[in-house]
Amino acid sequence: MSQTVSLPATSSRLALTDVKTPNIQSRGLNFYFGDGELRKQVLFDNNLDVMPGEIVIMTGPSGSGKTTLLTLIGGLRTAKEGSLKVLKQEMVGASAQQLVRLRRQMGFIFQAHNLFESLTAFQNVKMALELFDFSQQEMRTRITETLTRLGLGHRIHYKPDSLSGGQRQRVAIARGLVHKPKLILADEPTAALDEKSGREVVTIFQELAREEGCTILIVTHDNRILDVADRIVNMVDGRIKSNVYVQESAKVCEFLQKCDFLRDLTPRTLVEVADKMFREDFSSGDTIIRQGDPGDKFYLIRKGSVEIEATRNGETKIVAVLGEGDFFGEMALLTDAPRNATVRAKEQTVLYALGKADFLSVIEQSPTFEQELRKSIFERQ
Amino acid sequence: MVRFGRIPLARKNLTHDYWRLAVAVGGIGFAVMLMFMQMGFRNALFDSTVKVIDELNADLIIVNRSQFALPAPQRFSIQRLVQARECPGVSGAYPLYVEGFLSTLRRPRQKAYAIRVLAFEVNDPVFRSTAIRQAMPRLKPPNTALIDSHSKPKYGIPVHDPERLSKQSIELSGRRVQFVGLFEMGADFANDGNVIMSAQNFARYFPYRGRGADPLSIVDLGIVRLTPHADVQEVQQHLENLLPDDVRVFTKQGFRQAEMGFWRTSTPIGYIFGVGLALGFVVGVIICYQIIFTSVSAHMPEFATLKAMGYRDRYFIALVVCESLYLSILGFIPGLLASWGLYTLLARWTGLLMILTLPRASLVYGFTLAMCMTSGCLAMRKVLSADPAELF
Ligand SMILES: Nc1ncnc2c1ncn2[C@@H]1O[C@H](COP(=O)(O)OP(=O)(O)O)[C@@H](O)[C@H]1O
Ligand SMILES: [Mg+2]
Repeated sequence: MSQTVSLPATSSRLALTDVKTPNIQSRGLNFYFGDGELRKQVLFDNNLDVMPGEIVIMTGPSGSGKTTLLTLIGGLRTAKEGSLKVLKQEMVGASAQQLVRLRRQMGFIFQAHNLFESLTAFQNVKMALELFDFSQQEMRTRITETLTRLGLGHRIHYKPDSLSGGQRQRVAIARGLVHKPKLILADEPTAALDEKSGREVVTIFQELAREEGCTILIVTHDNRILDVADRIVNMVDGRIKSNVYVQESAKVCEFLQKCDFLRDLTPRTLVEVADKMFREDFSSGDTIIRQGDPGDKFYLIRKGSVEIEATRNGETKIVAVLGEGDFFGEMALLTDAPRNATVRAKEQTVLYALGKADFLSVIEQSPTFEQELRKSIFERQ
Repeated sequence: MVRFGRIPLARKNLTHDYWRLAVAVGGIGFAVMLMFMQMGFRNALFDSTVKVIDELNADLIIVNRSQFALPAPQRFSIQRLVQARECPGVSGAYPLYVEGFLSTLRRPRQKAYAIRVLAFEVNDPVFRSTAIRQAMPRLKPPNTALIDSHSKPKYGIPVHDPERLSKQSIELSGRRVQFVGLFEMGADFANDGNVIMSAQNFARYFPYRGRGADPLSIVDLGIVRLTPHADVQEVQQHLENLLPDDVRVFTKQGFRQAEMGFWRTSTPIGYIFGVGLALGFVVGVIICYQIIFTSVSAHMPEFATLKAMGYRDRYFIALVVCESLYLSILGFIPGLLASWGLYTLLARWTGLLMILTLPRASLVYGFTLAMCMTSGCLAMRKVLSADPAELF
């Protein structure tokens, strides 16, 4: 059965999607600042799924709504339209009480460290634990562990004014992590740091995501830390312009590149092609393409296998079986002819589909592309 | 409010910057001092005016019915005291003569200053002070008197030097007087000093009081002593019935209250000091608000961060209340000490009774606490307005 979820194909990790519930799930989320005449929409139809253990980096021009989305996810503002589920709690229409309770399961890291100068590193971090019923002993152990891990073992009882900028930010991070939150929200956490401290901070994020299965959402313009991201979300004018699961995108590009006629495309074009693909799921025996139908999509097999059955001169037979990494459906798009064969799923199959218009526009970008394609079609026949 | 083991954020934030704390404590201490001073003057007025009543060895006091305050005397015939002595339960009724208008004190070639003269029949147990009782025999010779050692310094009487005191030549209402001893009473708002003498000497100094008649036949106050176990109210009632309508009978406490009541309600003085007190309070609220508000404003991003983390409004309310409480205590202590010092100095300079009692100090602390809490509540709005959404 073809699924109707219209999330881009590369927006999630293939293996995980079906297994776990996302930590963040937004559907058709809109947000407005102000009322009446002055009402101004800053978020438009945001759809986003983020899984446990994922590190998401949000980028985009300033004023595009990244911070606004972050405050909505953090329960610091509330939206009225659409749906936003964070840690299984629906945030749209949630009470202040529910939001406070939820916020205690999150860790916030701001651009400024916002530490109390009257408190030591230890005490500042302890403020995060005093919201919970930990014993004094347990608090001490946790705080010491967290600070030590952040390389502040020798600065535990220092006040902020005797710490360096990087150290202060690490104390603030320790405060955001010490209660083992399921979700960490960070806005420009490395903006105030030099390269080395910034690196240390993101490395800690990575460890946390890997070890604690914590979801981390980072808004940043700092392209030095892009490499830690599992997913990069690009926002423009309040819309999620692209939302790419980096590894999946790489995988798809790798597949696309295996096709003779796509080999010459630049990585940038490949990523764009991958971005425009949508995921479709089929069960064993489902018909994907029927011979004689008009062609509307190009398909890449991400997982599973299909058989191609052609009827020629009244005789019906299986002409080919395609597997992971293979593609089909391009001919009808290029020649504007009806489908010349029927394609059926042989097992549980995941396909990445590219719409006709997108497919053709990609082809127009590369004069050699069409040539290659025609050649490859010719050779197949 | 402050759970065991919790980080005492209110205290830490207040004490982190010693300089700022010192300014805060100074400011609040100043307001405390203002209030203490206003209250001190007000109480000095009341305490000083009734001090003479406190010093009287009386169970009941007979006064002219139209008397409304001690400095504006209305007198009555000594006959009333003779009548009073007949009343059951009365063991004695003694005259007290007071002269505050005709009496002036002057050192040779100096300016004359008005002084209050109290006179009694030597051997009558009119005063409680043992100093006065012991000095009684010395008051019998002509032109002798006792001087109030708390009289204002302007009289120039060497009250602390008995040798010079006995030799000092002084005139009382144009007649030489010799001071043969001291007692303690203090000035009030109408009188700057006091002299005590025998009735016989009094008659010599102020012969015109009787308007031709015996100057001692007209009495200012009647001091009534009761027999042991006599019921004060009962005898008071009895005397009221017995005596003609030109006099009234008070208990000592009742008379004291009537006198204070006059100053409190019939003069603007009590009111003026009330306004002074209120001003001190308002100044305190403003200073205190400034301090708490600044302390809160300086920490807005931190408070917002705590809110984001899941701290609720009640935490911040408790925090501000705590800071107000600490400030009230920290400001009150130096204010109290400074006021105590000023009271002592003022009492010495002015002769006014500046007394710092526990209930009065507690009252001022109550005001201080109210002051800090009011400011705290005003500053509360600021804390609660901290918006974590603005932090990102
Ligand atoms: N408190 C606010 N009131 C009104 N408009 C706001 C407010 N905060 C942000 N905006 C507007 O919302 C848009 C998105 O802002 P923001 O989410 O901060 O963008 P980004 O974080 O991507 O730079 C901007 O046009 C900004 O002007
Ligand atoms: Mg921003």
